[in-house]
Amino acid sequence: MMAAPGLVLSNISKRFAGVSALKGVELTAAPGEAMALLGANGAGKSTLMNILGGVIQRDEGVALLDGHPLDLASPRAARAQGIAFVHQELTMLPTLTVAENIMIDHLPTVGGLIDFKALKRRTQDLLTRLGCRFDADTRVGDLGPGDQQMIEVARALSRESRVVIFDEPTSSLTEPEKQRLFGVIQGLKSEGVIVIYITHFLDEVFATCDRVTVMRDGMLVSTGPVSAHTVASLAHEMLGEGSLAGDIPTAVPPADEVILSVAKLTRARVLSDVSFEVRSGEIVGLWGLLGSGRTELLRALVGLDPIDSGSIRLKSSGHLVTVTPSQLSRSTAFVTEDRRGEGIFPGQSVEQNLSLPTLRQLLNRFGLVDRSRERSLADDLIGRLGIKTSGRGQDIATLSGGNQQKIVFGRWLGSQPTVFLLDEPTRGLDVGAKTEILRLAVEIANGGGGVLLVASEPEELMRVCHRYLLMDRGRIVGELGRGATRDDLVARVSNRAVDEVLQ
Amino acid sequence: MTSASSSEIWSVKRLRSLIGQIGFPIMLLLLFIFFSAATPGFLSIANLAALAHALAPVAIIASGLAMVVMAGNLDISVGSIAFLSVSIGWSLLGLGLPVPLVALVIVVSGGVLGAVNAFIVVVLRINSLITTLGTMIAFRGLALELSGTNSHTLPDGVRELGNQAIGPIFVDSIIALLVVVAIHVLHQRTAYGRQLAAVGNSALIASKIGLPVGRVIFVAFVISGCLAGLGGIFATLQVGALTAFLGRGLEFNAVAVIVVGGISLFGGAGNVLSGILLGAVTFEMIRNGLNHLDANPYAYRPISGLLIFMAMYADSFRSRGHRRK
Amino acid sequence: MLLALAALLMAMHVYAPAFLSYRNLINVLVQSSTLGILALGMTVVLITGGIDLSMPANMALSAIIGGMFIQNGGDPAVGCVIMLASATAVGALNGFAIGYLGMIPFVVTLATMSVASGVAAWLSEGLSISKFPESFFDVLLARIGGVPISVLVTILLTIAGTWLLARSIFGRHLYAAGLSPRAARVARVPVQKVTSSAYVFAGAASGIAAILLTARLGAASANMGTDGVVLDIISACVVGGVSIYGGFGRLYNAALGAVIITVISNALNLLGASYFLGLVIKGLVIITFIFLDARGKNK
Repeated sequence: MMAAPGLVLSNISKRFAGVSALKGVELTAAPGEAMALLGANGAGKSTLMNILGGVIQRDEGVALLDGHPLDLASPRAARAQGIAFVHQELTMLPTLTVAENIMIDHLPTVGGLIDFKALKRRTQDLLTRLGCRFDADTRVGDLGPGDQQMIEVARALSRESRVVIFDEPTSSLTEPEKQRLFGVIQGLKSEGVIVIYITHFLDEVFATCDRVTVMRDGMLVSTGPVSAHTVASLAHEMLGEGSLAGDIPTAVPPADEVILSVAKLTRARVLSDVSFEVRSGEIVGLWGLLGSGRTELLRALVGLDPIDSGSIRLKSSGHLVTVTPSQLSRSTAFVTEDRRGEGIFPGQSVEQNLSLPTLRQLLNRFGLVDRSRERSLADDLIGRLGIKTSGRGQDIATLSGGNQQKIVFGRWLGSQPTVFLLDEPTRGLDVGAKTEILRLAVEIANGGGGVLLVASEPEELMRVCHRYLLMDRGRIVGELGRGATRDDLVARVSNRAVDEVLQ
Repeated sequence: MTSASSSEIWSVKRLRSLIGQIGFPIMLLLLFIFFSAATPGFLSIANLAALAHALAPVAIIASGLAMVVMAGNLDISVGSIAFLSVSIGWSLLGLGLPVPLVALVIVVSGGVLGAVNAFIVVVLRINSLITTLGTMIAFRGLALELSGTNSHTLPDGVRELGNQAIGPIFVDSIIALLVVVAIHVLHQRTAYGRQLAAVGNSALIASKIGLPVGRVIFVAFVISGCLAGLGGIFATLQVGALTAFLGRGLEFNAVAVIVVGGISLFGGAGNVLSGILLGAVTFEMIRNGLNHLDANPYAYRPISGLLIFMAMYADSFRSRGHRRK
Repeated sequence: MLLALAALLMAMHVYAPAFLSYRNLINVLVQSSTLGILALGMTVVLITGGIDLSMPANMALSAIIGGMFIQNGGDPAVGCVIMLASATAVGALNGFAIGYLGMIPFVVTLATMSVASGVAAWLSEGLSISKFPESFFDVLLARIGGVPISVLVTILLTIAGTWLLARSIFGRHLYAAGLSPRAARVARVPVQKVTSSAYVFAGAASGIAAILLTARLGAASANMGTDGVVLDIISACVVGGVSIYGGFGRLYNAALGAVIITVISNALNLLGASYFLGLVIKGLVIITFIFLDARGKNK
């Protein structure tokens, strides 16, 4: 076999707890080439790159660099073979200095002691190349996320690399920082380095990349030169036809009655002056990028994160009453994006997972949980939500993601909350399960509840929402009505200059 | 919930962190002034030298433990390691081995016992608290098996070694200072030390970056074991005998020194040199001062416990800012 | 677990026929009762993912406080209430520091352990408190149907506790908070309150154990709570399948674990092994069981 120069990933597959995350994915890139890797949340691009970076291990497939098989058993092994990884979730060590963070795995030493002069000089060179203003001796914990992101980049550049993976490197960068990063990527390309670039910002693909690979649902959709694409065609491939499998009953138009009113909610550096209202029977989509404040808003509303100022009013016996976040949480259902970390209780039965928030309603006259009422609640919800399980006693950890999510969602139904906060409730689910979760949201709204829905795919929002609130950098920057098209929404993804669009 | 409150919260936070950082040095100073004024014997060169003498063993052991804590783990078997490795040395002394060789063997056995802890924590992946709780008691059991419950007076040629002094300063104080400085340099100025701090920040992130997390933790436990053995030697020399009480409560004192010295139990943060000195001096000064005040000797432990609570509280809000466990 | 216990008893029967006599078995159960009650309290704490090292020292301290009261002519019944109350108060202190102030369980209870044993030695000046009135023993050492009160109390507490953890809201919240504190917060479980309550329970268990042990020994002393006891409690729990990583564990299994640990101690005695070798073996038992606890490793 001829040794092809460059990187070849072939037939890569990975399953998590029985669910396929990658199904025979192919990716090739030649030296000096920047390959964009695109896909919606949960498409599998981060999983694929974590395999290349040695962070997780593949189940199947081949990885070659210049024709030689790569040993990707650990991040350390991958790094030793010239694979550098700029992580999306920053891997900063806050109590160490900038220089130490950048050079931590190859600190220069003289006679066993760190050569701080050389360390500082080499770090400062890198920082200058990236146009960073802060000092190499600053403690990283004292820097903001944008600076930390540049340090993350600097770390990848600090060692000779054959492949540099950038996973969403620009999400907290300012425009000038972004431009400098693009300059650095051009430099890498001219040195013959392979660049793999993951992003949600489609305009960046055209600014920096030569070829583009699109993934969806753990599979390869297309790969080819960037010049053959437009922003629209990429968005189209990423988001698919909007697989309308399964009917969702249309949500009835909302009543005029406002049930939740939020005014000037602010949390330093995260949310500023967020004001909106939700009416009875209304599904409001929160549309924005990762880090736009959409998740942070939901968490602040129910008191999981603190707020600095602002007021929340909730409909209670016919009137809007000012409430604290912890009071609001009592009549609110919250489904987070992190099903494994903040949703399920692995090791407990389906029944126990379903009854947890409503135990108070199941007490008998001795103040103990009435087992027969608990059982019938569980059986009722299992039937109503269509949860596929061998029985209410099954360990939730052994169910599929979709069924787990139905339980995390459904456990709230017993307490009949007035407000539902759904943060990417369909993340990582297959198409059928997505539909079922969205159908539940519609049912709730039709029952008079108010729903705030966050999703990364416009298709999903469009299937159920009455209107959309657009979020950017912790603010609500605009609103679109039911009639908004996907292009209207996608325009906000590919173009950050949202303000221009607004009147 | 007014907009003015955000800046207030900020200033309260700053005030708190300021108290967290300089509170203990100020308290130490006040205590020092108090004891000096209240008792005639406290502020004398002889007493201060005795103070530095008495704190030497715990300072040495706490420096080793500091490495483990910086890596985000805990080792409460250090007192038992001290006892067991000194007991091993004691048996060899009985066989007529020369004293320097015995000392070396004690330090090496400490290291081996530390490696046992490290093996269980790193290879078997068992929580360090439970591991060292088990080995704390197992090692003590072995030591008692080896040396019995009676105390053994050290032979004449050896016993005097504990009281060697250069001018007014005892030799073990000097060695303790050297050890603390050496560990400080290891932590601040070597690649290993910085990787240790990285692991203490977050073992998960450190392994994502590609650091050899297991190896870093392993070495920390071995260092902690060696220094426990060394500290055990001086503790034994100070008493002049090997007793069944050697090392009992030492693990607690060492943890206390670390906490009061501002080395975070959440890992990754702290300064070895100033921390260990501050912590060790604080505790020894309270003990010494209480003695001079003729206080009830039982009062020392409750008072030091209270001090630790305060230090831990300071640590918990200092650490809350930048990460959660 | 029952199999392990049966095998252990069979082995004992072969090596030391006297072991399986009714008298000796009752004796073993009486010995296990204190450990069993302590293990119940520890299990509640372990389910939250924490640990309470202060239990034995707390037990000794409260025994001494209550004992001094009785010795000085106080009503024995009130003395018992004092033991229970003081131990519960120490538990509440632990709970507040850990649940609400966010301090590390291991270190907080290490500090409490030190303070409690220091105060215990201080109050008793290292001596044991004895010479209690007969009425104190008459009640606590009585037998009902040939079974000593201490054994009955332990069995009752085990059954009631097991049932309450399975059926009360607190019990459900406890398991949820231990399995995943983050998910529990989202599901409106009052995690701080539940966590601190666990330590209050552990404190109360220490108080009950103090009462029973004082009656059995006829004296209260600071030596009741040596660090070997902590190891026994944790051994009982992990042998009983309680996970030190939180979220899993049944009280009745922990109580059975206490019986097994006591039988092992007895066996080692009968076989002539020294107390110290016993410590080594127990240390190994703990580490082996935790190593086998596969559930924890997935976390």
